[in-house]
Amino acid sequence: MSDIVLRVEDLWKSFGKQTVLRGVTFTVKRGEVKVLMGPSGGGKSTLLRTINLLVRPDRGRIELEGIEVFPRPAMKINKIRERIGFVFQQFNLFMHLTALDNVRIGLIKVKKLPPEEATRRAIEALQMVGITEDLWHKYPAQLSGGQQQRVAIARAIAMKPSIILMDEPTSALDPELVGEVLKVIEELARRRTTMLIVTHELDFALEAADEIMIMDQGVIVERGTPDEILRNPKHERTRRFIERILRRQERLNTLK
Amino acid sequence: MVFEGLLIIFTKERYLDLFLEGLANTLILTASSFAIGFMLGLLIAVERLYGPRILRAALAAYVETIRGTPMLLQLFLLYYALPSAGIAMSALTAAILGMGFNSAAYQSEYLRASLRAVPSGQWEAALSLGMTKWQAIRSIILPIGLRSAIPALSNELVYLLKYSSIAYFLAVVELVYAGKIIGSETFAYLEMYTLIALVYLVFSLLITRSMKKIESKIMIPGLAVTAERT
Repeated sequence: MSDIVLRVEDLWKSFGKQTVLRGVTFTVKRGEVKVLMGPSGGGKSTLLRTINLLVRPDRGRIELEGIEVFPRPAMKINKIRERIGFVFQQFNLFMHLTALDNVRIGLIKVKKLPPEEATRRAIEALQMVGITEDLWHKYPAQLSGGQQQRVAIARAIAMKPSIILMDEPTSALDPELVGEVLKVIEELARRRTTMLIVTHELDFALEAADEIMIMDQGVIVERGTPDEILRNPKHERTRRFIERILRRQERLNTLK
Repeated sequence: MVFEGLLIIFTKERYLDLFLEGLANTLILTASSFAIGFMLGLLIAVERLYGPRILRAALAAYVETIRGTPMLLQLFLLYYALPSAGIAMSALTAAILGMGFNSAAYQSEYLRASLRAVPSGQWEAALSLGMTKWQAIRSIILPIGLRSAIPALSNELVYLLKYSSIAYFLAVVELVYAGKIIGSETFAYLEMYTLIALVYLVFSLLITRSMKKIESKIMIPGLAVTAERT
């Protein structure tokens, strides 16, 4: 029971007339890596954002480590968010802070750690994502996209959250920078970091995921281990989706 | 002509005193009303963006009232109407407060625009880390927004320097009034006004240059700059 970190039950969300989530249900266990895939506009990003309440769901239920998050948060919303790491597609590093301070600020302001302790933990996190000392005092605008996203991942893991949500962490990157970020996420997966990741990177998903969920038009249409999804998709839609990705990757490979 | 104006000031100790008093009052008016305007303006901007709805509406009404009526009239009301309510103040105080309240409305608009221009991803990232609304405003939104507001605030400061001459109408001896007194006693209006115009020009250039210095000192790579007062 305590094994379950995140429980989402029958989650619904509409924006105006458009229903984006139509009863989504799943759980994430401790140490598990779940990958959420599916066509754009299928509700994947919205789903992630409802989990840390950046977007308020209409109905359903969200629980984090047995604590009710929605509909009646059992603790202050900021206290809940503190336990959920979030990595954005657009990195969203604080533009006025250096790489090091981006990682430190949550430890200082939210975790109330003493500055030296925060620095120590921030450096640890930066080293984990392969950000070397020469980059610690650079501002986001002075870093490449791949470096920015790795700092953003460090910012999330330094907080030691119960789960990390990643919203297309490599979609905004130039193709040659995707690899360095995926390597970091794969390393996190090897260390049994609990993660829920939205991505279009099929190879990565097959490699790193314990379970893949395919989401389309606001519902999870299929779920299973990477093998099950790839070899034996139950739905026609899943098959088409995977074929499309495979075709695109083939095209990319011939280009290379 | 400037040179002649200078000569006149030094013909009598009284003229020099008047001129210096005028200069001092102009600078006091400018600096104090800017400071008041900044603090109130920041408060208004933040509350209008993040505060409770009723307060937002009240502050919007304040800003529109100030911007929709002449500053001179605002000063007159403050100086002549308040004593009847039992609040009396010196002309200088009335002018400082009046200009400060006026500037607060304008500065709040520049600050609001700058704070709103901070990309929403910064706000979301702050909240996602577990910051409270006020932590996010203080640690993330203000440091980014205020930096990009500097050019507009610099404009406002120059504007206040020039428009502090409006205190003349409350008989505050600021630069223009001092010049008028000296001019009327020496019949050298043209010389005095030319000299004074030059003093304003020198100080506005000083302000612009030092604000540029401050800006480049605290600017951070990747931060953009927003609009200015028209």
